[in-house]
Amino acid sequence: MRLSRDGVAGLILFGISLALLADTFNLPRMPLVPVGPGFYPRIVLVFMAVTSVILVAQDFLKVRAAAPSALAAPGPRRRYDLVAAIFAVVAVYILLLPYLGFRISTALFVGAMQWAIERPRTSRQWAALAAVAIGTVVVSYLVFETYLLVLLPRGSLTGW
Amino acid sequence: MYELLGQGILTVLQLKYLVPLFLGTLAGVVGGALPGVTITMTIIVILPFTFGLDPLQGLSAMTGVYVGGSAGGLITACLIGIPGTPSAIATTFDGFPMARKGEPGRAVWLGVWASFLGGLLGGAFLILTTGPLAAIALEFGPWEYFSLFVLAMAMVAGLAEASFVKGLIATAIGLLITVIGSDPITSVPRFAFGSAFLNDGFPFLPVLIGIFAFAQIMTDLEKLGHPKPEGTMEGAKSLSVSHLKVIGEILGRPFLLLWSTFVGIVIGVLPAIGGSAANMLAYDQAKKFSRRPEKFGTGIPEGIIASESSNNANVGGSLVTIMAFGIPGDAVTAVMLGAMTIHGIQSGPLFVVQHAGLAYGIYAAYILAHPLMVMIIGVGALFILKITSVRLAVLAPIVLVLCVIGAYALNNTMQAVYVLLLFGVVGYALVKTGFPLAPLILGLILGDQIEINLIRSIMTDDNPWLFITRPISGGLLLCALISVVLAVWQHVRHQKRMAAEADTDF
Repeated sequence: MRLSRDGVAGLILFGISLALLADTFNLPRMPLVPVGPGFYPRIVLVFMAVTSVILVAQDFLKVRAAAPSALAAPGPRRRYDLVAAIFAVVAVYILLLPYLGFRISTALFVGAMQWAIERPRTSRQWAALAAVAIGTVVVSYLVFETYLLVLLPRGSLTGW
Repeated sequence: MYELLGQGILTVLQLKYLVPLFLGTLAGVVGGALPGVTITMTIIVILPFTFGLDPLQGLSAMTGVYVGGSAGGLITACLIGIPGTPSAIATTFDGFPMARKGEPGRAVWLGVWASFLGGLLGGAFLILTTGPLAAIALEFGPWEYFSLFVLAMAMVAGLAEASFVKGLIATAIGLLITVIGSDPITSVPRFAFGSAFLNDGFPFLPVLIGIFAFAQIMTDLEKLGHPKPEGTMEGAKSLSVSHLKVIGEILGRPFLLLWSTFVGIVIGVLPAIGGSAANMLAYDQAKKFSRRPEKFGTGIPEGIIASESSNNANVGGSLVTIMAFGIPGDAVTAVMLGAMTIHGIQSGPLFVVQHAGLAYGIYAAYILAHPLMVMIIGVGALFILKITSVRLAVLAPIVLVLCVIGAYALNNTMQAVYVLLLFGVVGYALVKTGFPLAPLILGLILGDQIEINLIRSIMTDDNPWLFITRPISGGLLLCALISVVLAVWQHVRHQKRMAAEADTDF
């Protein structure tokens, strides 16, 4: 059975629906409430399972009906490598936040992300990168902590 | 009512409120003008700034963003041919050709004044109808609320562009997210699998910010390096124009203005559809009613007036839904609803009565945001155009930092930031697999309320037929059914037409 992206997504969602549906039967029943905590999730999950099956079936029929020549022409190249790199940078930033604190980790994050998106080549570009990184930290610190009294994360290692 | 409105205007005219309103409108216009930055994204960025403000200051800033953003998109739509926001897509069709013909000032100002007039007419609707609609909503029991939410979701799923089934699945995913964590009636943890992280469920705003911000930024990053469209007007020196003449051009087409405004308001009132649908529909309607439909797309004023008056009127309609029913009309008002909740304010039918000062303050902010928007665009349109050339390498990290601050500052815990990242990945994956985000967001917003009203109705009377036999509830469910049938019918018709076109294509 050949499936495209929709069919695979439908199968994954169907699997998730079934797994969670099975889990609802482990939820306790409450004597004072006519329906238990699993009642509403079951409705949602059955709905999700049924629609996922429909998506898989639609996709199967579409893939079978499509001629090989009907494949879409490739569009401009998309930078999925960059997307993966940026997700990694954001994940590292969020993991470092509680240890290094907002000020240090944000400066590193803004610098790293600029570097990942557009590599600086000249000393002027490097200076601009550093200025944006430090400027973001200074402005956000002044606006949020000093003016709006919104607390930003402190680092357990740095105390900043 | 008018006395309260007058008081509201006097309150917002105080510097304490006028400054956040001005800054919000400015941020809205700039965010709206930046291609790839939507109004939702702008309001998400503004959100953390409102935490330290009082409720009316924060909501004034957000109202300013909404009004400014709805108009800001027209600057880039007319001058560089790229709509700043999806709600200005139709403005590009005639605004850009008009600007290229040597009339950039006329194109921009037709849009600005149409936005101004459409927005104020939407404001009149907002002020006059919120009270009566809230009075109707007060008659609602849990059955009616449940049915109303079902109708909202059926309509939004039906409007999903990609596929109706995907719209329904996206709705279900939104509902499923709200189910994780403690059950709202008995507080039994569901799908927590022994994890303290999952035990409390997912807070709404970090989920919303994660899904929208990451989906948007990552999609923009993917396209980095793609060529810009040719023939832009980035070098436009002046936008000066006779304002009386431009306003005369708009007021000389009263039916077009009123009908486009009406379309915008109706789309705004319908949950989770928003300005992106309003401007396209109004443009389509203007073309259908026109005596010269073949001229649309060549740079005629009708196309700009229809699009811009409808997208600003849409804001008034969206605010009606949130203030009368407590249901967000779109993602922007969903963030506003979240901001209200942070300040301990419950939106819904009693909102206008219980928080009259705040409600009339929001009306006043909405009205005053319009002249501010005109002033900002008048003074800074060309400067704003320069800002749009800010590199993504600078913009993206700053936006993400503000998203992190917004999530963290909700309750000063890192948990919300982890949720932000998790749903950032989920949002991007859903966009890449073609699932529409609007139904998901609506499911996410309404999920808790649907469950609470469903259980409350069963606890009051376990007769399930009451959902159908109570007239308002039954009527709403019938509308939901009709909406689903129409969506399926349209989908089938579209498929058949596509198949027929493929058959005749030699």
